[in-house]
Amino acid sequence: MMLPSRSKKSVLIFLVPPLLFYGAGVLLPVVQSLVLSFFSWDGISDMKFVGFSNYVQMLSNDSVFWQAFGNSMIYLVICLTLQLGGALLVATLLLQITKGRDLIKTLYLLPAVISTVAIGFLFQRIYSVDPVGLLNRLLDVVGLSGLQQAWLSNPSTILAAVSFPEGWRFSGLYMLIIYAAFMAVPTELEEAAKLDGVNNWQMFSKIRFPYIRPVWITTTIMAVTYALRGFDIPYLLSNSRYGQLVTTYMYRTAFTNTNYGYASAMAVFIVIECLVAVGLIFVFMKRKVDE
Amino acid sequence: MSIARIFGGPRTASSAADEYHRRKRLSVHGAIRWVIIAILVIIQVYPLLWLFITSLRTEHDFASGDPFGIPKQFTLENYARAFEAGDLGVYIRNSLIVTFGASFFIVLMGMMAAYAINVLGFRGSKIVSGIFLLGIIVPVQIALVPLFIDYSQINLLDTYASMIIPLAGFAVPMSVFLFSSFYNYIPKETYEAASLDGAGPYRIFWQITLPLSLNTIVTVVLVNSIFIWNEFIFANTFVLSDGLKTIPLGLQNYIGAMGNTDWTATFAAVCVTITPLMLIFMVLNKAMIQGLEGGATKG
Repeated sequence: MMLPSRSKKSVLIFLVPPLLFYGAGVLLPVVQSLVLSFFSWDGISDMKFVGFSNYVQMLSNDSVFWQAFGNSMIYLVICLTLQLGGALLVATLLLQITKGRDLIKTLYLLPAVISTVAIGFLFQRIYSVDPVGLLNRLLDVVGLSGLQQAWLSNPSTILAAVSFPEGWRFSGLYMLIIYAAFMAVPTELEEAAKLDGVNNWQMFSKIRFPYIRPVWITTTIMAVTYALRGFDIPYLLSNSRYGQLVTTYMYRTAFTNTNYGYASAMAVFIVIECLVAVGLIFVFMKRKVDE
Repeated sequence: MSIARIFGGPRTASSAADEYHRRKRLSVHGAIRWVIIAILVIIQVYPLLWLFITSLRTEHDFASGDPFGIPKQFTLENYARAFEAGDLGVYIRNSLIVTFGASFFIVLMGMMAAYAINVLGFRGSKIVSGIFLLGIIVPVQIALVPLFIDYSQINLLDTYASMIIPLAGFAVPMSVFLFSSFYNYIPKETYEAASLDGAGPYRIFWQITLPLSLNTIVTVVLVNSIFIWNEFIFANTFVLSDGLKTIPLGLQNYIGAMGNTDWTATFAAVCVTITPLMLIFMVLNKAMIQGLEGGATKG
């Protein structure tokens, strides 16, 4: 709409401050990162223009980068399974009970309120061997003491160990969103289906899920892009390349090795990764609708 | 298309025996449902409960005891040590300043931009709105190196502003989006009446749009506060001195080098720092949950 009494000046007065804020905090740094990614710079000596060589190095010559990329993909899969899969499961179960919904929602959301640093401490203790932590003790109790181990130092378990907490903490948030979407499904639709004798699975796959598809797409985009930029917990819990993601590798390249140019190339890679992911989600989900 | 056609016609009436079996199956289903829900809730909540119980354990009990066990004696000593070992008060103060500062700008900037785009209107408003929207998916990592360099050149490293600027900058897009989708619901007539009374764009903003936005403001503040209170990466990158550390950074001071960490005291410190947010969450969780649900489903 257009307010009749507006003037050009008034539009600018309302628009310029937010744009400046957004520009200074987001747009300018994005452009600077792009520029920096074509330079070699340690922050002290002179910047040297190197063209695409940071990108060439990253994509064709850096096995640590590719390992980090592979780890990021596994991290993504674990987070999505716990967050979206868990959210869908709990939201569906919640629809079928009558008592205690609000309490369960609140309890389920609780981990989302806690800082990643605190969660890092918590899981360091949960995975611990000495004194024996929750997980190893639990394995002992259920008779799987052979599986007891130092989850955060074993190269083959560390990645799963740093991914789980991230999936765990936001599962409640996505559950809430999905649940709200399910609640918006018109009751007439569900009742008509019930009269037709659909079972629970059909109710879910033919009625409810198709109805919430737009919300599902938004939620998937949120979960995927958040997982691709996931950083805190893997950074706090892992020093080894086995638990390293593209984001944590980029951070250490920038602030431990002060290799700003190379780190910027990786940062640009992360942005492109997010854009490609969002594009793929749209293409994939849209095709499904058309079918 | 009728549902009946999809699933092949209405079902015939079931016999009494069928009905009995159905009931029985339902109650089994019900039980399984509750078991699954209970397990999942325990997975979500038990670690937090354990954190709290551990903060009340004696050090000896923690080092030698069964992690599942209920401690034989409770102690508050850990809390005393937590306050001695770190400047919890300072960390909390810093987190409050950063949270209030960033939230203030996130709300104000979001409202102003949405007002310009959706209420005032101008040519190219769609493009501007798109530029803001794009920011929702930009990962924060891209800004770390450039901001670090920029800050060191203009002496902004190690200040509150160094945290507030990017925190607000990255949250403004979502805020613009939420306010915009709300402003689309305000009927045109509201503004036209005010305009006829001679109110200009500034008065309309303060006297009509702002008061109407109250619910959205609460949502935006609540959701962002959680993220900012717990924010780690900007603080970890731009803040160096102890006096400016926010809670997440301050907590790290409790982790001793060489693994000599006083875990029970650390857990006590964690409990202290999550209490304010937990209380707000418990009191306002209806509003917060509605905000989260509404914000996402409108999208």
